[in-house]
Amino acid sequence: MINVLYLDDESHNLTAFRAAFRRDFQVHVTTEPTEAVRIIREQPIEVIISDQKMPSLSGVEFFELIMPDFPDPIRMLLTGHADIDAVIDAINKGQIYKYISKPWNEAELKALVTEASALFHQRKAMAQEGQQLLSKMDEARLLARRIQTISESGNPLAQDATQEVSNLAKRIDRLLQT
Amino acid sequence: MAVFRMIFLVCMLGLSGLSLMAQQYVGKRLESLSAEVSPEMMAIEELAASASWEPRTEIVPNLGISNDVKWLRLKLDPRTENGLLIEVQNSGIDELTCFMVCDGEVIASYQRGVFSDTPIESTIGTYPSFPIPLVECGEMQAVFRLKSAKPLLIPMRIAGPREVLRAAHERDVLFAAYFGVILVMLLYNLFLFASVGDRSYLEYSIYILMVGGTQLVLNGYGPFFGVDEYPWLNIRLIQFFGVFSGLTTIVFAQNFLRLSRFVPWLHKLLNFYFALYLVAFVLAIFGQLVWSYNVINFCALAIFFFIPGAIITMRQGYAPAKYFLLAFSVFIAAVMVFVLKDTGLIPYNAWTFFALPLGSAFEVILLSLALASRINQLKREGAKAKEEQLRISQINEKMVREQNSVLEERVKNRTVDLEEINQTMQGTLHELQSAQQQLIQSEKLASIGQLTAGIAHELNNPINFVSSSAQSLRRDFEDLNAVVEAIKTLPADHPELSKRVADVHALLGQLDIDFTQQEIEELLNGIEDGANRTSEIVRGLRIFSRMDGDNFIQADINELMNSTLVVLRSNLRSQAQVRAELAENLPEISCQPGRLNQVFMNIITNAAQATEATGLSLEEREVLVITSMHETIGQTWIEVRIRDNGIGMDEAVKLQIFDPFFTTKQVGEGTGLGLSIVMGILRDHNAEVDVQSEAGQGTEFIIRFPL
Repeated sequence: MINVLYLDDESHNLTAFRAAFRRDFQVHVTTEPTEAVRIIREQPIEVIISDQKMPSLSGVEFFELIMPDFPDPIRMLLTGHADIDAVIDAINKGQIYKYISKPWNEAELKALVTEASALFHQRKAMAQEGQQLLSKMDEARLLARRIQTISESGNPLAQDATQEVSNLAKRIDRLLQT
Repeated sequence: MAVFRMIFLVCMLGLSGLSLMAQQYVGKRLESLSAEVSPEMMAIEELAASASWEPRTEIVPNLGISNDVKWLRLKLDPRTENGLLIEVQNSGIDELTCFMVCDGEVIASYQRGVFSDTPIESTIGTYPSFPIPLVECGEMQAVFRLKSAKPLLIPMRIAGPREVLRAAHERDVLFAAYFGVILVMLLYNLFLFASVGDRSYLEYSIYILMVGGTQLVLNGYGPFFGVDEYPWLNIRLIQFFGVFSGLTTIVFAQNFLRLSRFVPWLHKLLNFYFALYLVAFVLAIFGQLVWSYNVINFCALAIFFFIPGAIITMRQGYAPAKYFLLAFSVFIAAVMVFVLKDTGLIPYNAWTFFALPLGSAFEVILLSLALASRINQLKREGAKAKEEQLRISQINEKMVREQNSVLEERVKNRTVDLEEINQTMQGTLHELQSAQQQLIQSEKLASIGQLTAGIAHELNNPINFVSSSAQSLRRDFEDLNAVVEAIKTLPADHPELSKRVADVHALLGQLDIDFTQQEIEELLNGIEDGANRTSEIVRGLRIFSRMDGDNFIQADINELMNSTLVVLRSNLRSQAQVRAELAENLPEISCQPGRLNQVFMNIITNAAQATEATGLSLEEREVLVITSMHETIGQTWIEVRIRDNGIGMDEAVKLQIFDPFFTTKQVGEGTGLGLSIVMGILRDHNAEVDVQSEAGQGTEFIIRFPL
């Protein structure tokens, strides 16, 4: 189940959201930004949806606030009316994935959350792959070093062969470095 | 003039027939004492016999004016002259004593003169006369002792009593005629004065009176009026008359010739004579009669100034001066004759003697004519002046008429110009009004636009959860339906009931129906709340947007305030804590609700924005709206206070907030019309506005609506 966090100062919206999506996602809701931060810390939140217009701080401000600590969850902004300034802000500062206007279309929102979740996982997977690739490269680099050392301190008789080995090792190194 | 010439000729002819004309004076027979003799020390006889007598050479001896006693001796022929009278034709001698000496013996003495109290019956006429005694004498002399403060002219003759009497009668008649003329002129001028009221007639009357009086006294007629009863006055009478006739002459001349206007320097010079006459008068009072007489004589020369004065005046076109000149020329000529006769340069006779009264009479008559001419001249001048005035006033009237028409023309042109300007102004005013209307409209639209965003959000929230909840509710009911269907398929007496019940329970657990039931409750609450809120917003909007027309209707201020707050809620929520303390049971007031909403919205929005600028946290920023009702004697009002703890205003800003286009906001953020529109609306409601503000402390708007 996808873990979704929804932050809105209007509790009826929270109820409606939970009722709409509890069957499909693991829904977390709150009216308080601090509570929201606690939930992100404790739960494996994949998608965060925030209302833009809240009395204490705006949705963009909230996203800006949590970005340094929790860059991974996909962020979506929900707002009551099209406010071009908010959209610009959202894109520039909050690195928002999607912008949704109220009243939401349930199917659409559901699809968006699913997409976001997929993106989250894709990113996570890619990150892991990258990590693996890096460790493999490190290993290759080590091997190439060893070949190089051996070839440089080797028997002069086998000079041609070692020369070749050395060239290979250099090529491996060059490849890894790119 | 012919008439006067004829009168003059008749007079001349009349005079020629008089015995006076043939009189012989004995001046050449007279002897006076030489200077070295002291006659007072001697007896008359001794004096008469003295060898110090010197013969006189004049026909009429002139002994001059002095306080000294003068002596004269006349040798008489006892054979032919006894029984006759010695007549001294000078009635002005103060002391005159005649001693008749017969052969060295005084046989008779007579006292005459102004100072003597000789009874008037013992004299013939006004001249002193002395009878020559009818005695036998070898040698007869008459010795005269004379003393007078007046000129001692001695026209002496010897004549029989009948002749003296006749001459006296003739003289009396002539003087009576003269006084008659004077009297007639006096009465005539007094009458004219009484009827015309011109002051110059009175002056002239006094002048005539004085001239006549002087002649009267001078010719010895004073005693006829009883002045000899008052010796003190009697001896000064000549001087007094001299002073007053001189004064009146000068005054008359000054006024008649209008010297102050025509010959100012002469006028001033003549004024100087007043002082001299005063001196003469004072001298006379103190008995200095000789000096007084001399001063008066000197003053009399003033009449010579009249001639150039009259000529200058005449040259300046003053016609009456002609008569004056003529009159005074005649008079001066007469005076000249009179004086010359006294000095012996011309013969002393009745002609020369009567020259003065005659000249005086003509002068008086001529002056009277002059006066009439003057009055006529004045009348003419008056008429001319009036005519001139009339002419000027006619010219003025004409000018006024012309100017009036010019002015009318101008006014007409101006009016046309003004009408044009007025029309242009009206057009401009119209444009301005429509511009203002547009500005107000755009301000309204701006605030509506501002509101729309907030309201959209405000509406979207409930719509969002209502629509979302409805879908969720449908699903929840589907779950419930599944359970209900499962229960429905249960036959009442099914043997496997317990197993089926277990299935139902499993389903209940699987579908988490407990949670669903609770959720249904919450969703229904949400829907209900959403519906309420939506309708509240819609109602608020409807109340708020009653901007349709400016009709005054009865409305509740609290309701208006609430609707404003609802509409503003979403905007305000992120700006400040807005609290409302609204008094219960406020009476409705007659107002334009739509426009009042605009007022409240403006002020509350400003208040919230002012708190935002303070840097306080949202919880600390406050806007408080209070409505209340107040009552004092004869006055009831509803008070609306909108108070914030924002940045406040300094005095300079406070003074301008209601000015159109004044704004503290950045260019493009505010029109600067909000509060000026507010002011206009409140003025239409007769509401008072009081703004209390202090920089850094906050602002409070107090609006009082009279009931």
